[in-house]
Amino acid sequence: MKKEILKQYAEKLHEHYLKSKRMPTYSEMLGIFGLRSKNAVYKRIAALVAQGFLEKDSSGRLLPVRLYNPVKILGAVAAGFPSPAEEENIDLMSLDDYLISNPQATYLLKVDGDSMIGAGIMPGDLVLVQKGRTPANGDIVVACVDNEWTLKFFEKHKGKTVLIAANKKYPPIEPKQELVIAGVVIANVRKYK
Amino acid sequence: MSPADFITLSSFPQAIAHIDCDAFFASCEQARDPSLKGRPVVTGKERGIVSCASYEAKARGVARAVRLGDVKKLCPDAVILPSDYELYSIYSCRLFEIMRRFTPEVEEYSIDEAFCDLTGLRRMYRTSYEEIALKIKQSIQKELDITVSVGLSLSKSLAKICSKQHKPDGFTVLPGDRLHIFLKNIALERVCGFGPNTVALLEKQGVKTVFDYIQRPREFAQKMLGKIGLELWHELRGVKVYPVKTEIKESYLSISKTKTFSPASGNREFVKAQLMRNLESAFIKLRRHGLSARCLCVFLKKNDFTSAGLEARINRHSASTLDFTRICVELFEQVFSDGLLYRASGVILSDILKEGNDHFDLFEDPVRVECLRKLSEAADKINDVYGKHTLHIASTEPLGCKRQHPRNNLTWRKTELLKGETFRKRLAIPLLKL
Repeated sequence: MKKEILKQYAEKLHEHYLKSKRMPTYSEMLGIFGLRSKNAVYKRIAALVAQGFLEKDSSGRLLPVRLYNPVKILGAVAAGFPSPAEEENIDLMSLDDYLISNPQATYLLKVDGDSMIGAGIMPGDLVLVQKGRTPANGDIVVACVDNEWTLKFFEKHKGKTVLIAANKKYPPIEPKQELVIAGVVIANVRKYK
Repeated sequence: MSPADFITLSSFPQAIAHIDCDAFFASCEQARDPSLKGRPVVTGKERGIVSCASYEAKARGVARAVRLGDVKKLCPDAVILPSDYELYSIYSCRLFEIMRRFTPEVEEYSIDEAFCDLTGLRRMYRTSYEEIALKIKQSIQKELDITVSVGLSLSKSLAKICSKQHKPDGFTVLPGDRLHIFLKNIALERVCGFGPNTVALLEKQGVKTVFDYIQRPREFAQKMLGKIGLELWHELRGVKVYPVKTEIKESYLSISKTKTFSPASGNREFVKAQLMRNLESAFIKLRRHGLSARCLCVFLKKNDFTSAGLEARINRHSASTLDFTRICVELFEQVFSDGLLYRASGVILSDILKEGNDHFDLFEDPVRVECLRKLSEAADKINDVYGKHTLHIASTEPLGCKRQHPRNNLTWRKTELLKGETFRKRLAIPLLKL
């Protein structure tokens, strides 16, 4: 079987694996590959195993080994030279996994305003915000003060909350009435190209 | 109350929760843009009728399927938004994923409701079923910022009755040893599966409430309503008949495209052109998702709101518009009658598979099939550059090449593209509007 075609099957398996966090059964693969016979599925799986996309464990169940081509983490490498680190068998994660710890509670927010410029958050940046997380001192939070949403450092001492900007132009805010925290900033993404 | 009234003495021989979002589409909009909280929000701007109204709007008398013109009269300060299905599907996926953190047995019943089988989880979480269900509800509310109504009971039918008991933000628990009290006040219409005719029939037999129904012998249920009646009889007595089905619907069951035109028309060429344009649009969507279809249904809606349609199958799956044009015209000629006025036309593609899995017929000409496929591919490319329907099949000529749907009801997200995003492809994470 051609490698290109096998790659397509591997991608389909990977898609299912990401969605359901497990390998599909043979009968599910009928649907995924669009095949009608389990024998056909078996042959493709055998080819995928032979090519090193999949492995079988001691009980014969499938293990995803190399279903897709992620960004490779090469370890600390001296620039310019190929390194044996490339050959090292380390677990790989996608940028998504790296940036996001709870995918169901993470949201995007486009930064507007310069109140966090001192913390390296520029207008137009895209911050990843996690909802439902209790902020700790020093966290950057998305908060609503007097009907205005802002990004600020969160500080709480002796039951008193202060929101501090990373820009001398803005004085610290001590919310008088209600303070709504929409979430905690966990990452900042700035795309140049 | 005598012990004889008990239906079961066991509180939770098994535990099924039904989780149903409150005004889902409107809630998603309010979660993304908190300035909409507490205000009447209505979605469905692109359709001209309400597809979902927030509880604030419902309180003012706005209901589903009300015309938007009437919404403005009932509730002049309503915020009317175009439906953003992209946003709703992301929230829907997250909703189910949160439930799957608690139990692998989750059935995605619709975009905004699910059944969870919690049976046996008490030992793992060292707490009651009620606490587990409450924890799921709280996690959803904390992480998605939308409210859900939860019903917890012994079967899917009972759980669904419970989740509707208190809405919005409800939490209703019905253990087996309380069935005989709770169900006395539940009307028959509340059972999913009992329509107006069933209710009327049962009422003639002196059955007024769900409790009355399950007090009757099983032979009564079997005789009156057959197999379904018996299944529901068991379900409502707390005996699980319907399992929680966990397989995820992966593929489209059908793709349909309908277009209403006003004023209504009796012009054969015009109505045909409208129909063929729908065929084109449906195939564009089919190809965009990498699918192919085998079955085509054509229908025309008359001015008196009745409709007529016909269906045909070809001998293999195809994603090429031209494989279906001749059949579409033939079906049209049989459905269309002169002298009648038509107000809408539509097509439905079904028997859908992933493209590339089609098998050739013995007498098929593979070269021709391949040519048609390439032709569709080229047409899509041209239309991507010069606008949808710029290159079109000849029978749609009366409509010209102008867009069928003017893009004036764009969702906020489509006008707020981030660097690197396109009109067709955006990040799968909701963008907050603060």
